Amino acid sequence: MKTRFLFPYWCRYLGYALIVAHIPVMLLRKMIGFDIPGAPFDDSLLSPHHLFFMTTTLLMAVGLFLAAFSKEKIEDEQISQLRLDSLQWAIYVNYILLIVSLILSSDTEHILFLNLLIPLVFFIIRFQWKIFQNNRLLKKDGDLR
Amino acid sequence: MKNTIRVERAIKNITQAELADLIGVSRQTINTIESNRYVPSTVLSLKIARVFNKPLEEIFILEDTD
Repeated sequence: MKTRFLFPYWCRYLGYALIVAHIPVMLLRKMIGFDIPGAPFDDSLLSPHHLFFMTTTLLMAVGLFLAAFSKEKIEDEQISQLRLDSLQWAIYVNYILLIVSLILSSDTEHILFLNLLIPLVFFIIRFQWKIFQNNRLLKKDGDLR
Repeated sequence: MKNTIRVERAIKNITQAELADLIGVSRQTINTIESNRYVPSTVLSLKIARVFNKPLEEIFILEDTD
């Protein structure tokens, strides 16, 4: 079975590297104080604020994207099935949290930000957890004659 | 649905890894099929049946709950 629209296997590690790389940049952003509420806000295109926002958020988003949608070492139909299941779970969880946060909070900026993170993060965790479980079961009772 | 892959493997004397190589899937997939945690597609089932040289119905058996 052919799996389309997936990045090569090594893209996963590039993705993880980008996610890790975004942390110091984000901390720097916090330290400089771009995010202080009430601070003068320059929202023109390609202003320092905009550039910084782009680098941190884009680094993370692209990293998550690559880590989530890269191929496994052996791509077969069972992995496709797991991927599909995990995607469904991720969308469910995302929408439940979105609805709850819309009811309880009016902080749309953070809701948007969470919405950017949750589907992919939850998908990656659930998908990798299932693969880990399969590997553990294989070790436990695999290759019995 | 249950299956007799484990028995057939024992008869043919091949491991999960060897069967996986023969039909081009991962060992994990063979293991999940054998332990009834994954139902293979028709294509994969036919490939498995071809390895054991048996008709599909002798390897995959419907249960009452299906």
